[in-house]
Parts: sequence; C-alpha cells; structure tokens
Amino acid sequence: MKKEKNRSRSDKGMPLLLSIVIVFSILGVVVFSVSHKISKEMTASAVQNLNESLDLIECTIEAIFNKEAEFQKLMAQEIALASDMEAYICSYQNNQTMVKVSLICTGETVGISNTGEAFSQAELDFSSGKKIEGLPISKTYINYMGAWAYTMKCPVQKDGQEVAVLYIEYTFDSLDKSLPNGFYNQKAMLYIMDAETERFVLKPKGMGVRDAGHLNLEDFYRANDIYEEDLMTEVTKCLENNKNILYYHKVLGENALNYMWAVNDGAHYLIGYVPIEAIQQEGDTVNQNIYIVVAVMLVAFFLCCVLYYFSQRQQNKIRKEREIEREIYNKQLAEALQAAQIASNSKTMFLSNMSHDIRTPMNAVLGFTTLLAKDAENPEKVREYTKKITASGQHLLSLINDILDVSKIESGKVVLTMEEFTLNDLVSSVDAIIRPMANNRNQTFYVQVTGIQHEYLVGDETRINQILINLLSNAVKYTPEGGDIWFRIIGLKQHSSQFEHIRIEVEDNGYGMTPEYLTTIFDAFTRAENSTTNKVQGTGLGMAITKNIVELMGGSIDVVSEVDKGSIFRVELELRISENETYKQFWKENGISRILVVSSDTEECANISLLMKESEVDAESVPNLQETLVLLRQKHNALRYQMILIDWETVKTDEIASLRELRELVSEGVPILFGVSCTGNSVEEAQHEEILGIPNTGILTKPFFVSACQEKILDMHMQQNGSNTAESAERNNLSGLHFLAAEDNDINAEILIEILSIEGAACEVVENGRMVVERFASAVKGEFDAILMDVQMPVMNGYDATRAIRALPREDAVTIPIIAMTANAFAEDEKEALEAGMNIHLAKPIDIELLKKVIYQCVQKK
Amino acid sequence: MNKESVKKFGVFCLAGLAAVSIAACKGNGDNSKNIIISEDKTKRVINLFSPMEKTRPDADNVARTAADKTIILAEEKLGVSVQYNTYTAENYQDKTYDDVALDRVRSNMDDIYLLNPDTIQILGEENLLMDLSGLESAKNLRDVVKIANIVDGKLVAIPQEVVAYGLFINKDMFDQYNLSLPNTPEEFLECCRVFKENGIETPIGANRWWLETFVLAQAYADLYNGGNTEAEIAALNSGESKYSDYMREGFEFLQELIDCGYIDAKKAYVSEAIEGEGADFLSQKTPIVMAYWGAANAETAYGNPDFNMLVIGFPSKRGQMPVVPITGFAIGADAEHAEDAKKTLDILVSDEALQIYSETNKVISSSKNVEVECIPALKPLNNRINENVYVLGSNASMKLEQWGNTCLIVRKLLNGATVEACMAEFDRLQQETLK
Repeated sequence: MKKEKNRSRSDKGMPLLLSIVIVFSILGVVVFSVSHKISKEMTASAVQNLNESLDLIECTIEAIFNKEAEFQKLMAQEIALASDMEAYICSYQNNQTMVKVSLICTGETVGISNTGEAFSQAELDFSSGKKIEGLPISKTYINYMGAWAYTMKCPVQKDGQEVAVLYIEYTFDSLDKSLPNGFYNQKAMLYIMDAETERFVLKPKGMGVRDAGHLNLEDFYRANDIYEEDLMTEVTKCLENNKNILYYHKVLGENALNYMWAVNDGAHYLIGYVPIEAIQQEGDTVNQNIYIVVAVMLVAFFLCCVLYYFSQRQQNKIRKEREIEREIYNKQLAEALQAAQIASNSKTMFLSNMSHDIRTPMNAVLGFTTLLAKDAENPEKVREYTKKITASGQHLLSLINDILDVSKIESGKVVLTMEEFTLNDLVSSVDAIIRPMANNRNQTFYVQVTGIQHEYLVGDETRINQILINLLSNAVKYTPEGGDIWFRIIGLKQHSSQFEHIRIEVEDNGYGMTPEYLTTIFDAFTRAENSTTNKVQGTGLGMAITKNIVELMGGSIDVVSEVDKGSIFRVELELRISENETYKQFWKENGISRILVVSSDTEECANISLLMKESEVDAESVPNLQETLVLLRQKHNALRYQMILIDWETVKTDEIASLRELRELVSEGVPILFGVSCTGNSVEEAQHEEILGIPNTGILTKPFFVSACQEKILDMHMQQNGSNTAESAERNNLSGLHFLAAEDNDINAEILIEILSIEGAACEVVENGRMVVERFASAVKGEFDAILMDVQMPVMNGYDATRAIRALPREDAVTIPIIAMTANAFAEDEKEALEAGMNIHLAKPIDIELLKKVIYQCVQKK
Repeated sequence: MNKESVKKFGVFCLAGLAAVSIAACKGNGDNSKNIIISEDKTKRVINLFSPMEKTRPDADNVARTAADKTIILAEEKLGVSVQYNTYTAENYQDKTYDDVALDRVRSNMDDIYLLNPDTIQILGEENLLMDLSGLESAKNLRDVVKIANIVDGKLVAIPQEVVAYGLFINKDMFDQYNLSLPNTPEEFLECCRVFKENGIETPIGANRWWLETFVLAQAYADLYNGGNTEAEIAALNSGESKYSDYMREGFEFLQELIDCGYIDAKKAYVSEAIEGEGADFLSQKTPIVMAYWGAANAETAYGNPDFNMLVIGFPSKRGQMPVVPITGFAIGADAEHAEDAKKTLDILVSDEALQIYSETNKVISSSKNVEVECIPALKPLNNRINENVYVLGSNASMKLEQWGNTCLIVRKLLNGATVEACMAEFDRLQQETLK
C-alpha cells in the first residue's frame, strides 16, 4: 500500500518535474534566442556603425587630399601668372601641411625647392598611376623631416602651354589633426597604409591600445597571426581591386572585426580592427540586463518553489500526523469495539450460562418442592427432597456470591479483612470442603505442607479460603473421576523476617486447558468450553475472582496446563507473621519441651521439628516403633519426652502390642498422638485402634500443625476431666429464648419464626425499623433476649433502628444483642452494621446452625 | 534549518533582490539638458619618437613592457598623454632609424627622442638637444652614463639602462667540442677554427649593425682600461694620435674572421639586427652571435633558448671586454611641449621608474641607486662591468663620433673595402674634426 502510495507520488512528481524542465528549457531557449537576436542586431548595427565611421574617415581623408590637390592647382595657376616662377617658389614658407614646394620647368630635369635645394623628380616614384583630382600622387616615402610624406605634381600652364611642373610634398602627420581621437571608446585600432608599399604611414593619435605600432601590412599580419590562406586570398583580391573588406579574426587573443578600407581610390587604406567586445558593448549590456532579470526571476521562482515546498512539507507533515492519529483512533476504536464485542459475547455467553446454571438448581428446587408436596406424607422422601433442595439452594447461593464478588471486585469495593489465623484452620476448612467433593468423585486428594516456619499468620483468611476453594473445586470439577488432586503449601525463603513467604500449589491430572484458553483463563465470564467441561456447572468467574484477590494481597498466580495431562496453579503470597505469642505459653504450661516423633518420613519429621521450634519445643525423631521402644526402654529416655507423636503409617498392624508397651514405658500423663492421613481408611483404622482403649492417646489429622496438636491435647485434657460433654450438649440450645425480629419480607419472617420455634425459641416479627424501635421501647426489661435486625426495610432501615435502640434511655438498650440478618453480605456492610451498634452480622440466607451458635454466644455474653 | 530560519532567509533574499533591482534601474541623476559626454580636450600630449620592433603574436617583449610601465607611471603622475611615433627600416635600403631620428630632431617633429649614441653626439654637437643636467633624476646617474652623454658640457641624453654588448655563446656547443670560453682574439680564432672544422659553416652570426662592437673592443680595451683614458682621448681630439692606430687591430681581426669564413660578410651586410642571425643561433646552427644585454631577457630576441646560453665580453688582449654604448632619451631643444617633456623625462629616469624598468627587464640600471639581480646567463658580462672593465661604445668627449662612424666603416669592410681603406676613412674623419 505504502509502495503504491510512493509510486503514485513519483508518478505525479515526474510529469511535474518534466513540465518544469520543459518550461525552463523553453524559457532558456527564448532568452538565448532573444539574447542572440539582440547580439546579432547589435553587431549588425555596430558593423553598420563601423562602416559609417570608416566612411567618414575615408571621406575626411579624401577631402583633405582633394583640397590639397585643388589648392595645388590654384597655386600652379598663381605660379603661371608669376613673372619669376622660381623666385615665387623660393618665397614660399613651409607649413605643417605642405612641407616642401618644388618646381621643375619644362624641358629641365632639375628644378628648385622652396628650401633652396635643387630638386629632381628622380627622387620620387609616380609609377603607381594613382591620381587625386587628376593630379598624380607619388609613392609614400620618408621625407627630409623624417616623416612619412607623399608628393603630388601639377602642371603649370601658361597660355595653354605647360611651362613647368609644381611638386608639393605633404606629410601624413598633417592628416592626424583632422581625424577623430579614436572611435569605439578608443578601442578601435587604425593605421593609414600606403597601398603601393604596404607601409603603415600613420597611426592617428588615440587609436587603439598602446603599442609600438606596426611596420607594414606583413608585420600587422604576423603580429596578429593572420595567415589563413583563404582569408589572405580574399584580402589580397580586395587590395588588388581597391575594395573594402571586413572580416572577423582574433587579435591579441580577442575576437575582433578587422577592416581594410580603401581611400583615394585604393591609393591608401585604412587598416585596423575593433574588438568584438567594443562593438557589442551595448549588446552585452542589454544581454547582461536580460540575464540579470532572468536570474532575478529564477531566484524569485526558486524562492517561491522553496516556500511552496516547505509549506507543502508542513502540510504533508500535519496530514501525516493526522492520518497517524486517525489510524491510532481507528485502531483504538476497533480494539474497543472488539473488546466490547468480546465483552458483549462473554456477557451474552455468561447470561446464557447463568440462565442455564441458575435454572438447573432452580429446576431442582421447584421440582423437589412439587415432589415434596406430593410425598408430604412420606418422611423419608421428604427428608431426601429437602436435602436435595438444600443442595440446590447452596449451589444457587454460591453462584450469586460469585457474581456479587466479581461485581464488587470490578467496582474496586473489595476490602481485605486482616486478622490472625492459623494455617491449620485454613487447611482444615479447605480439606473439610474439598475432600468430600473429591471423595464423591472417587478422586484422591493429597494435602502436603512443607517448609513452613510459622503457622500463625495475619491475613484475610476468608479470602485466602476463597482462593483455595476456587482452585481446588475447579481441580475437582475438571478432573475426571478417579483422578488425583494435590494441595501443597510450601514455605519459601523469607524476604523479610516479618513475613512468611508461601507458595500454594494446586495440581491435578485432569482435563487440562488449551494454550488459547490459558490466555483468557483469568478474564471474567470465561469458561473452558468443550464437550467434557460443558457438563460442569460454573459461572466462569472463579478464576477472575481468584486472580483479583491474589493481586489484591500483593501476590501472584500462574498456571501451567496441558490438555489431557492436567494443570498446576501456583499462588505465591507473603503473609505477615503473627506477633501474638500466647500459643507458646500452652507448651510451657503443659510442661512440654521435648517431643518424640516416630516416623519413617524424614521430610515430615523435619517439618514437625521446624514448626515446633517456633513454640520452643524440641522434636526428636525415630524412624519406627521398634526403635522407639528400644529408646524408651532406657529409663532416662522414657522421662525425657513429654509427648509422643507417631505417624500412623509407620505402625504396622501387628504392632498394637508394641503400642501398649510404649504406653507403659512412658508416663501416663504423656499424650501419645497418632498422625493420621485423611486419605484412605487411616482415620477409621486409627479410631478403631483407639477404641482398643490405650489411655491418653489421640488422633491428629495430617498434615501436622502445632495449633492442631495443641487443640488435640487440650481436648484430651478436657475429656480426661469429663466436663466437656454436658457443656457441648447444652451449647447451641435456644429453647426458651424470646427474640424481637425486624423483617419486612413475610416469607423470610415466617421461615425465621419456624426455624426458631423448632429450636424452642419464640420470635416476634415487626415490619420495619421504626416499629422495632417502638416495640423495644415499649417492652419490659428482659422481655427480649436479642433483636434480629434486617437492614433494608421501609420507613427506617436496620442501621438507623439500631442507633435509635442504642440511644433509648433504657438500661438494656445498650446491652441487648442486636444481630444483623441481611442480604447485604459484603464486609463493608458488616463494618457498617457493627458501627451502627449491632453485635453480629449474619448474611442471608440464614444458616440455622450459625445463627444458633451466634445467638448462643451473644446471649451467653449478656 | 527550522521553518523560522527558512522564512527569514527567504525574506532577506527577496529584500536583497528588490534592492539590487532598484539599484540597477537607478538613473545617473544628471538632469542637464545637454546629453553630450564631455571630453577632456585639454589633455597635454607629448610626442615620443622611438623605434618599433617587428612583433610576434606569441612573444612577450619585456623591453617594451618595461618602457611602457614607466610611460604609464609618468602619465599617471603628470596627467599627460605620451604619444608614440615610431619608425624602423624595413630593409637596409630604407633610411635607418638614426637617419630618421636626425631628420625628425632637426625638423623638430617630436618632443622626446630615443637616440643611439652616434645621433646623440651629432645632435648634441648641433645644439639641437636640451641640456638635461638640471633634472632631479640626473643626479642619480652612474658616471659612465654621464661621461658618455655629455656634449660640450651639456647632458644631452639620459638612458633607462646601461646597454652592454657582448658575445652570446651557445655553451652546450662549446662543451660539445671541449672548448673553453675565449678571452683573447687568438683563443676566439681557435674556437672558430674548431667549429668550422666540425662542420659549423659560419661560427659567428652577424648583422650590419653590431659587428662594430668587435672592433671597438679591440680598439679601446687599453684606452679605457689602461689608466690614461683622458690623456689618450685628448691626444685623439688634438690629432696627436690617430683613431686608425687604435682601430687597425680590431679591423684586422675582423678581416681575419671574414677571411677565415667565420663571418659571412655578405649576409651580414644586408642583415638587420637579430633578424639575420637570430634564427640560426636559436636553432643552434651558429654557436656565437653578438647582441645587447636586453636581448638575453627578451622573448623577441634570445630570451628563451633551448640550450645553455652565456653572455661574455668580446675577446681582447685585456680579456673578455663588454662594450657599453650609451643610448638615451633626449629632448629637442625647441620641442613644442618642452616643459611637459622635461617633467615626463624626469619621471621616466627617476629611481622609482628605473626600479620598475630594471625589475621588469633585468638590466643594469642607469641609476646608481637601483640594483637588480641579473639572469644567470648574463653573470659573466655583469661581473666584468662590476669590475669596471668595459669599453665605451660611444664617448661624447671624443670629437670623432665612434658608434655611428665605426658602424658605417665596418659596413664598408663587409662590403669589400680593405682594412687600409677603412683606416684611411678614419683618418679622413679625424681630419674633419680637427678643422
């Protein structure tokens, strides 16, 4: 495309360039022609001018010669009248023109000159036959004055008879005064040549450049290198025929117009040259002016071109910038459109999925309620149907929770609730949820904890739990039945002593994901689509939520997956280590400072040792039970350990006796705990063995956690004290309690009344906040054990009502427990509820067990 | 270059163009109705008569260039115009330059004349030349110049250079025949013999003008270098001693050269200076010619030979002997523009002008204040002059003019006259001076 553009530009540029070249060529030709024409015309004019000038000089010289001849004739007439002709001659005084006057009387060969000397015609040469006004003129010669001269002779006639001949000598120098002081700005060279002798007899003053002059025509030719044969022939021919000639020839390296101009019918010639430069001076000036004008115009034109070019360039630049900008906008628009389309498609797909996913459990709920109505008389079926309705309801609830989570994350409303927790609680709760799911699908669920130094940490346990549940439930979902799922918590090298750096790995050998799907796995509203996974229910929001929460915690998540081989998710988090050290006191209070770990798994032993180190308890290990016995049979060793932890997997089935011996070897107060793996039937086996009745033993579910161990020991102590059973039975019993509830929804109100009545509690429901305030205000002290407060209600909401109740001038207004029961399930809702003065926040739908537990706690506190 | 600079450049260019255009179209501002171009008709003209040289288009005449430079200097300083009037004989039948110069001086045709030694003496004796001793530049002249050009106590001519004549030697040819440079007539004859025997038909190229230098060198080598010059000249002027006695030796020597065929007398008799013998010398057919100093510098003469050239003095019994005829510019006693001519000449021979002249022409200046380095070829001749060893070609203190008369009598010898007849002519001329 770009090439096309460039080609089209060059296609446009070439004709333009050619046009300019043609225009300039035409202009050049026109200027040259005009200039040439002017030069030619000026030269013609100059030649004409030269002709006229030479004509003028010729006429001047001829006029002088003619006048001299006429004067000589007059003189001859005068002499004829004189009585003594010789005396007349002698009386003549020389002047600058006639430098010698001589007379030879007829019949004599020698005459007399005015100088008094004898005169003879033999000294003169009249052989050329040239005449001026009919008077013969001699060949030029150097006279007695050392000047070039000529003589004309004129017969003196008396009474028709020639009585004498008058000879008058003239010098060429006298002509000089009558000739112009140069022409063509004194650049033209002029000589007067005697045609007969070809001697240069006069160089008028002011003619041509300064030089020593030329001797004769031959010298002139030699000096100016005029030797061309054809030219010489023509010149000679003209000289012979007394004609004029003008020709071009170089003189002193310059082009010149040479001339030979006949005077006195060819008796003399004007010889010389005019440099072309001098002839064409005006022409050159005109041409120079033309060239200047053309140059000025060209410069102006080029300046315009330059300005135009820069202007065009600027415009092109702006246009290009705009094009680029437009392209960027278009691209952004296209991307936005694409994103919008994808989002739209995703949301459409999401809605479609939601429609399906919500309808499915809803169908189950409605279907089973129909069946429930039908089989109401059959308690077994009722129980089965209600169980299934509950499951479907739970599923619906999780869907709604996910959607709400995404919505909240996208609107940036997620707030982490930082509180202390133990990894044990985390793993236990996750295990409690995931293991049944995995077992249902005949999958093996492995939990491994390695390298952890601190298990008491600070963080949002709920959210971490959410992350793990998401990852693990996906692993369960997307792993076929009989597959394996690994859940690992690995302690990494700490970046800071205040933070535990952990990696959570969730691995499965399930369906895996395509590389294309991996690029969008963490985007909202996406879900792996294939024939297998379509069977799986889900919102497609889980991974997006997970990633957002991880990043909110400052951690990272990545995934490696291969289709049909499985996936592995890795989450890295840095969690603050708890500063609460009360748990350390437990071990001191119970006098436990050293424990013995019996396990063939050295890694596990190291983990236990690492964890116990934090509680300042030494953990020593032996690989099997036999060696343990050997060790403990030594009396001092038996007293050395305050607790024995035995890996159930190291206990062989025939070693029950050994266990009994072990019990006997150590003090009865030393608890013996069996670390039991949750996988397989280990727990049942261990429980079975426990039933055998070995005193002061307990089962500890692996993986090992200090807090779990602590709880277990505490439980064992309580069991020994026998007090816990009755308390436990009493716990969560709501019978006899009387609640005031604010609930605007009749169904919810009815459910609440029913549930509480089942538990033996009474409940009075009012429709809004205002009414609950009024009812409480009018109640007698102790009438109600607690208030169950909905939040969103007409007239007055739950928060305002709580504040109003707390503000009532009653003693129990401050103390009466107010429990928020609301569909506003977010943390900030909880926060707002607590700030309003409520004691507990419970999200709808109400978990009856949780409700019972909470109420019990509140009422107990009260 | 940013946009702003381009704009500024464009504006400056346009402004410049506009200024140039307006300036080009501006008139001369003369509002006079009379549009004639005024001519300076008051310019003073001085006529200078000098010889012309036959020119060649490809040759640079430094002598002429040097003279022109001094003329231009004078014109610029004085605001005058020096007009050249020239003459040169076409052939031996024509009137000589000296004849024409005599006629022109006598007819008062020009203002300043460039004269040869003989004409200086003739015209000085005729009292036709102005006394130039009052010129400022005359004070700087070398003694040799003054001696030669003082006639009847008047300094009648001043040259721009001391013209020295010598033998122009093709050193390559001398080396070819293992010949050393000749000092005496005998050695010179021996050289000529060797050349002749080796097929050089005419070892000495000559013309009708300058063979007299041979004779003068022989004749007056003792007179000018013997320490008794004034007494000997006085004896000649009084008639106590004869010019012929001095001249005989030189004429006999010349006769011997002619008789031996070393000089082609017939050719020399009709040959103009350089024209006759120059071509053979330059083409190395002739190993020896005689010419003046400036010929070694001038392309029109021997300024650019294809061989190693040396200029030495004429062989004499006192060794190599330069002959120095003093030429010079003279002013007509009744010159039309006498005052301007005097001022012009004063500048032409001033130290400033002579410096220009000598540097251009590489000659010995007539001013004792001007010294320039000569070309290598002229060093032998220059060394002799610097040693004050030379013979004057002309001497106004001698009553018998030497340069012209000797030239004419040598021509007679060339034309077949005997040495005795030539000596008789000297005696006759001496007798005329005694009258």
